[in-house]
Amino acid sequence: MEYTDILVIGGGAAGMAAALAASEAGRRVLLCEKEDRPGGILNRCTHRGFGRAFLGRDLTGQEYAGFFAERLYKSAAEVRTGVTVLSLSQDRTALLSGRKGLFRIKFRFCILAAGCLEKTPGSLGIPGTRPAGVLTAGTAQLLENTDGLIAGYRPVILGSGDVGLIMARQFAESGREVVALIEQKDQVGGLLRNRRECLEPYRIPVLLHTAAVEILGRDRITGVRIRDLETGFTRILHCDTLITAAGLIPDRTLCRDLMPAGRLPDWLRLCGNCESIHDIVDSVTREAMALGASLGQEAPRK
Amino acid sequence: MLYTDAAVIGAGVLGCFTARALTELEISVTVIEEKEDVCTGITRANTGIIYTGCDNRPGSRKAAMCVKANREFDQLARGLDVRFSRCGSVMAAFGPRGEDVLRRKYRQGLSNGVPGLRLLSRDELAEAEPLLSRDAVLGLYAPGTGTVEPWELGIAAFENASANGALFRLNEKVIHMERSGSRFILETDRETILARTVINCAGLSADAVREMLRVPAVRIFPTGADYIVLGDSLKGQIRHVIFHEPEEKRKGLTIVPAVDGSILAGPTERSADLAPEGATCAEGLEELRKLCAEVVPDLPLTEQIRTFSALRPNPRSVQRENGRWVPVDHSIRDFLILNEDGLISLIGIKTPGLTCAAELGRFCASLAAGALSGPGRNRHFNPRRTGIPRVHEMKENDRAALIRTDPDFGEIVCQCHDVTAGEIREAIRRGAVTPDGVKRRTGAGMGVCQGCRCISRVQAMLTGMRKNAPQTDSPGHSGTEKPEERHGIY
Ligand SMILES: Cc1cc2nc3c(=O)[nH]c(=O)nc-3n(C[C@H](O)[C@H](O)[C@H](O)COP(=O)(O)OP(=O)(O)OC[C@H]3O[C@@H](n4cnc5c(N)ncnc54)[C@H](O)[C@@H]3O)c2cc1C
Ligand SMILES: Cc1cc2nc3c(=O)[nH]c(=O)nc-3n(C[C@H](O)[C@H](O)[C@H](O)COP(=O)(O)OP(=O)(O)OC[C@H]3O[C@@H](n4cnc5c(N)ncnc54)[C@H](O)[C@@H]3O)c2cc1C
Repeated sequence: MEYTDILVIGGGAAGMAAALAASEAGRRVLLCEKEDRPGGILNRCTHRGFGRAFLGRDLTGQEYAGFFAERLYKSAAEVRTGVTVLSLSQDRTALLSGRKGLFRIKFRFCILAAGCLEKTPGSLGIPGTRPAGVLTAGTAQLLENTDGLIAGYRPVILGSGDVGLIMARQFAESGREVVALIEQKDQVGGLLRNRRECLEPYRIPVLLHTAAVEILGRDRITGVRIRDLETGFTRILHCDTLITAAGLIPDRTLCRDLMPAGRLPDWLRLCGNCESIHDIVDSVTREAMALGASLGQEAPRK
Repeated sequence: MLYTDAAVIGAGVLGCFTARALTELEISVTVIEEKEDVCTGITRANTGIIYTGCDNRPGSRKAAMCVKANREFDQLARGLDVRFSRCGSVMAAFGPRGEDVLRRKYRQGLSNGVPGLRLLSRDELAEAEPLLSRDAVLGLYAPGTGTVEPWELGIAAFENASANGALFRLNEKVIHMERSGSRFILETDRETILARTVINCAGLSADAVREMLRVPAVRIFPTGADYIVLGDSLKGQIRHVIFHEPEEKRKGLTIVPAVDGSILAGPTERSADLAPEGATCAEGLEELRKLCAEVVPDLPLTEQIRTFSALRPNPRSVQRENGRWVPVDHSIRDFLILNEDGLISLIGIKTPGLTCAAELGRFCASLAAGALSGPGRNRHFNPRRTGIPRVHEMKENDRAALIRTDPDFGEIVCQCHDVTAGEIREAIRRGAVTPDGVKRRTGAGMGVCQGCRCISRVQAMLTGMRKNAPQTDSPGHSGTEKPEERHGIY
């Protein structure tokens, strides 16, 4: 069976930084990334706002990913893309699947940097039909920014966190009409800088205290019924797309069966959005580097 | 103009099993389905339970078919390579009314010949289902109850019927029917089809299809149903199908540990007018959440991954009053199978229609054989079908070997259910034309992320393969298909 000192699962901002730091500490590192290139979420972020703190530069997500990917490929860490980690076992082995085959690999430490899941329209359980055109922000970004497709022309955006704000800007920037950004709470979420950069220049209508209560349309969405949570008054917003940006949840599916006592085994560490949701990539990179370096100290030299 | 011995209208689970049973005869079989894929109607949205037959009145067609179908289900599922979990069921009573119902169903089940039924005490019930409310006072255990993915069963029958020679014409709607001598003339929106017998399996439209030729006698009065699906993070927490028998006169809750590890809660019973077709309604979902809080208070509804709705095809006799057809009494309880001079209609087949699909198909085929004056048997009929490999269920060695021969089976596309590019490719080859079709054939997009992470890849594979692949590659397909229009932009 193959062996590595440190197995890194996921090649997003977190996985790349952890792998770099651990390999710089002289460890044998294997990073597995499901997609065909590293970068994770960053690959779908065509907007700027990455690296201001850590690199002192204002890069797009894709550029930020490129910066680290280049260093990663130059480092001693081994990178396998198109390889998904299927499961982890208590005996410190992982099962990997890719086009080259199904492998088991033994490791000393594992860094889980699998990122996060989005809350889906299905999990929100908004009553109504299930037409095309209802999608999460992440899917919309994937379609538009990596596949070159159009997610829609007249979206309603649900959720005013950073992700919702950035989506609103993405639509508005390309001349599409954002019907409204709706938010249940009484104020816009997200970072101050995003509020300023994403909403104001485009005069995006923001509806606070507002919930989506019904999805309308047969084949494709034609509108969303919304309720003003203060007055109880409902009305319909006509749109051709509903983008949900309702929150992110760390994706810890891989360690679900490893925590009978509710505690992670000592050989397993979480980082990046898999550990907790981060708004700013710079802090992901910083934390992951620290984790990689410290495990680099702990792992026995081989 | 197309000639066929038997024309089946509708490719839901009943149409597919009817077609399959017809291919056991030495006749030509044509299935006409309005939608772009099979099993997108009632078959797509139901509870998926394989019933034992203890709910049906002794002597009824339902009781006889259901008991037999249940007994033979392992064999059917094995032959068609369909996942079937015989998880058993517990019915739970919460007071005197419920206890009476349970005892009656127990006796009824015994007289129907349902094996293994047992009444459970409060403690036994709690041991069987730890999440069930401790207010439950009596249980009825039925070890034979099971569950399937309903569309998986229907698609398996479709593939097997195709392999045995049935021609499936999709994207084609029957709009008019006439009788000419001993033949039926079916006008579709694309073709004229001459048939010697017609089997009407049109689901919610079965009454309308029948009335293309006959005066109204039975109409379908749909009611709505809502469901909640919880993700597989709760796998193992619900062990049996749970039937809640409420004290008040209302619909109880059913909970199903589905074969893919998710948990289904529902269905409600509500007016169909509360929401448009295919839509859930707020009242229904609210009702379900309340019921869950009563019956399984510790089941975390926060794990909800989707909701969906269904329509029940309630059949009722109608008569003419002041120029309108009005229902004369309550819903017809038993399976209604009409044979009117070679026009065979399955009207308003509700629960346990899925359980009995193979039985009902066989029954319709025997009626059709009568109408065709006893055709010979098809000696080449092969009852077996092999499904798409379910890579994540394979043993490690077999899986590794498969990847060596075909690397597509190593490439994970849907991370929630570990579905590979190979499986998706195979689903498309077998007839999936939309992401939804891929989902129903492989489970890709059915998990906690609901396709967020894989939809773009699945769509790309659909577009790519449909551009390159020869049309004949998919079994039983003919004619043009037009799904991209609907799914080109998201
Ligand atoms: C819409 C959006 C906009 C943002 N905008 C900004 C911004 O403007 N400025 C900023 O500083 N920050 C921004 N962020 C935050 C920042 O980009 C993220 O917090 C950071 O990129 C997360 O990195 P990660 O490595 O934790 O996760 P991800 O990037 O999600 O990486 C996880 C990786 O793991 C892989 N993976 C998962 N499971 C497996 C497995 N089993 N086997 C193999 N591989 C697996 C995935 O394919 C993925 O590549 C934004 C985030 C989002 C969602
Ligand atoms: C809410 C609910 C829960 C249920 N739960 C269970 C259960 O747990 N266990 C069980 O055993 N049974 C259950 N059933 C019953 C079972 O689901 C049905 O009996 C079965 O699925 C009916 O299948 P079908 O083929 O008749 O209908 P459908 O799947 O609706 O198929 C009919 C097809 O006909 C096509 N069609 C209609 N008109 C035309 C036309 N003019 N031209 C061409 N095509 C046409 C439609 O497009 C459709 O595809 C349930 C039913 C409901 C409603």
